[in-house]
Formats: sequence, structure tokens, C-alpha cells
Amino acid sequence: MNTLLEVKNLKVRYGNIEALHGISFDVKEGEIVTLIGANGAGKSTTLLSICRLPPPEAPRVIEGDILFKGQSILNLPPHKIVSDLNMALVPEGRRIFGNLTVEENLKLATYARTDGHEAIERDFERVFTLFARLAERKKQRSESLSGGEQQMLAVGRALMSKCSFIMLDEPSMGLAPLLMYDMFRTLKVLNAEGMTILLIEQNANLALRFAHRGYVLDTGEIVAQGTSEELLADPEVKKAYLGG
Amino acid sequence: MNALQFGSFYALIALGYTLVYGVLRLINFAHGDIFMVGAYIAYFVAVLLLGGEGMSGLGLSPGLTLAITVPATMILTSLVGVALERTMYRPLRRKGADRLYVVITALMAGLMLENGNLALLGASRKSFPELLQKVIWTFGSVSVTNLKVIVIVAALLVFVLLEFIVTKTKIGMAMRGISYDKFAIPLMGIPLDTIIVFTFILGSSMAGLAGILFAMSYPILEPYMGALIGWKAFIAAVVGGIGDIRGAIVGGFLLGFIEIGVVAVFPSTLRDLFAFSVLLGILWLKPTGLFGVAKTTKI
Repeated sequence: MNTLLEVKNLKVRYGNIEALHGISFDVKEGEIVTLIGANGAGKSTTLLSICRLPPPEAPRVIEGDILFKGQSILNLPPHKIVSDLNMALVPEGRRIFGNLTVEENLKLATYARTDGHEAIERDFERVFTLFARLAERKKQRSESLSGGEQQMLAVGRALMSKCSFIMLDEPSMGLAPLLMYDMFRTLKVLNAEGMTILLIEQNANLALRFAHRGYVLDTGEIVAQGTSEELLADPEVKKAYLGG
Repeated sequence: MNALQFGSFYALIALGYTLVYGVLRLINFAHGDIFMVGAYIAYFVAVLLLGGEGMSGLGLSPGLTLAITVPATMILTSLVGVALERTMYRPLRRKGADRLYVVITALMAGLMLENGNLALLGASRKSFPELLQKVIWTFGSVSVTNLKVIVIVAALLVFVLLEFIVTKTKIGMAMRGISYDKFAIPLMGIPLDTIIVFTFILGSSMAGLAGILFAMSYPILEPYMGALIGWKAFIAAVVGGIGDIRGAIVGGFLLGFIEIGVVAVFPSTLRDLFAFSVLLGILWLKPTGLFGVAKTTKI
């Protein structure tokens, strides 16, 4: 398997506060990898560093490198990371455009695509098959959607941008358990079709049951790593993150 | 007809305020002065092509001059708008400056345009050459000049065009998306700065169009001509509901009608006092403007 994303000794700062103290991890093509850890461990910071959202939210990389297929992406403008590398981020809090309709949100994500009308139409159908609720609410302003539907829209939007690598920041947050399982089942389907997934979760149990491999992040450092089975069996991880 | 004509100028300028505000939540106080710069650009292009004013010019016919001056003015004026964005607003945005500082920067940019013009060209007024043979059409008891009809039609066409761009095209969706959550825009693979520049191009070219039409209607140009009309157009945009394109048009025409209506009944010195009192009354009843909705700001 080829390495898709490689983060090497990444040190990141917010203002004067160092938030990541040199973390390294990688994601291989076709894998589901999860970063778990408590609130404030640096999980979201890691994703924002990869996507380099514009200020004031951008964490500043002061050391280390982020490679995509072996190429450093530290100097790419944020929109190119999405459009040229086919990466997508489903951010914390979903960040859908509430003033646009469901359909407009999805259409907006196709902005930079150059593969033509037919391919886009096919992806619309795919998203509406995966998430039938979105098809029903196509013309509705998206801020009127429920939390679960908004999460579907956020993932649907990522799919419309034609990503082959999707990063999700706490997709289970605020979802009822049933919807949460639905969402993870859908993500499994996408992975089976070849989508690489990097998942950030506070719910370590859920994340490790879903992912192939995982890394445990604690106050800006990686303190454990391994396959999901290894981590689920690790007494330290069990004690700190899995509730005994 | 006068009301409609004045309303058209207000509306065209108000559209620029509303576009930039709708996308960036920035009140571009330099916009009235961009309108003034537009009128001056129109003047120089027209004189250059037509000749006169002590310049030999190219000696083109007035009709041809007009045909070239309109697009040239719109393009050059939009460059001025984009230059302001690049040199003043963007650096502040990059540093994450508070909105207040950007608004103050806009005010200063406007003053710099006014005083730059004064320094460069002096205080003497310029008189705009006549490019259009005046024709008067009479419909029953109403008579209008061809220029007035052109001004009104231009404002309505611009409105339809902008409404189409903003609601139907992807770039329009991106503009609306920015107004809701600009940091999520790059996540869609959309270059934020390109959309913002496009917004400034649209707004400034409308101001340029208003500049040339205004100069043709009232052919005396002076550096401060943009200040009062700019403020009025801004107020019209707010009364219509700033950020809303229909609001800018309705607010602009409303202000035109009120002004002309007041003058028809009272001495003209009372015009602005009355006009603004009425607008104040509207805001008092509906603080978000006629088309505005109470916004829950996301960021």
C-alpha cells in the first residue's frame, strides 16, 4: 500500500503556545486511520495544520513537514489542497453554508472540478442515494436541517468535491446514537469503494472499532499507536480512553 | 421621471455597497469616491477620444466615443476598486484585523481618493463633453429625454444581471457562502481571494457606470461629488436592507422619489432633511431595512 499522507515531526504553534510538540503519523491508501485523545490533545489542530485554513484559525507550523504522496504540501494555498490533491475536510461543527439550500451547498463543492457535467451529475445521484434525506430536502435552506442531516450534508459536500481522501473531525458530535451508527456505516461503504479516511474522535471506543489503525494523542504528543486490536487491548489505553 | 433617474444613480451606487457588504460584511466607505473616480475616468477617456478641452484627442465622433467610453470606464474603475482591495483591505484581512479597522481604512481610502484628485487636478471643475444628442420624447403629458431613459434602463438591466449572477451561478453561490462562513470556502476548493476580487470588480464597475451616466446628466465634475451622493446611496442600501440586491434597488428608487416629492411641495432646501427623516422613520419601524432579515452572525 502506498503512503498517502505523511506527517513528520510536526511542531505547531497558536500564537505563543505550542500545541503540537513534534508528532509523526501516516495514512496509507485505502486505510481508515483514527486519531483519538481527550479534549485539547491537539486533534483538531492536526487537521487544521494539514488543511491550513486561513487566519485567524490557522495554526502555524514551525517545524516538521506534511507530505502528500511524498510531496510537501506546506506551501500550497488551502483551496489547492482540496482542489488539486482531492482531499476533503469535514470540519468540526460541520460548517455548512446555512444561508444556501442543500442543493447549492453540494453544487458549491463542485466549484473547482473540471471533469464535466456528467461526472458531477453522477456524484449528485450517488450522494442522494447514500443520503436519501438530502434528496428530500434539496430545496430547503440548510440551516433548517437537523444535526444529523447537516452532518450528512457535510459529508455529501466532501464527496461532491471528488475527494479520494476524507478527513473527519468529530463526526459523531451531537448525533443521536442511531444516526451516529448510520453515519459510520456509510463511511465504511465509502472505504470499501476505495476512500481513504482519517478520523478524529473523542469517542475512542467507536473510533477504534471502525478504524484499521490508530494513534493516541495526549497534550500535543503521540503516546501510543498500533492496529485497532492492539490499542483496544492495550491496558494503558483501556484505562485512559476506553473507560476501564 | 426625475425621481426615477435620481433613484437609478442611487441604486447603481447602492448595489456596490450592498455587494461588498453582503460578501465581506465590510462597509466600503470609499465606494462613493470610486463613483467620483469613475466620472473622472469617463471624462478623461471621452476627452482623449473626442478632443477638446485644450487636447487634440483622436477626433472620434461623439457616438463612437460613447460606445468606447462606457466599457473603458467600467474596466478602469473596477481596477481602482480592485487596487483598493489588494493594497488596503486584503493585508488587514490576512492579519485577521477587527472589522472596525477595515471600515476606518475604507473611510481613509475614500478621503485619499478625494484629496489625491484635488492634489493632482486642482480644485477647478471639469465640464463633461456632450456625447449624446439630446432627444425629447413625449408620451401624453410626460416628456422625457433619451438620456433619462438610458439611465433608468441601465439600472434595471444591472439589477437583473446581478440578481442572476448571485442566485444562479457558482461564483454567486460562493459569494453568498463567504458571507455565511468565509473560512469554510477554501475547504470547497474555492480560492477566497478570487471571489472577493470578483465582488469588487462587480461593485466598482457599477460605480463606474453610474459615474459616466451621472457625468452625462450633470456635466460638472469636482473631487467631492462622490461624498454626498455616496452617503445617500449607502443610506439607501441600508434602508433597503444592506446585503440584499433587491433592497439596494428599492432603497435607491425610494430615496429618489422622496427627494423629488419633497421638492415638488416644499422649498428645495428642505429636500435632504425631509428625505432622511422619512428614511429614518422606515428604519425606526424596521431596523433591518425593507428586505433585511435579522442576521445571526456566525463568526
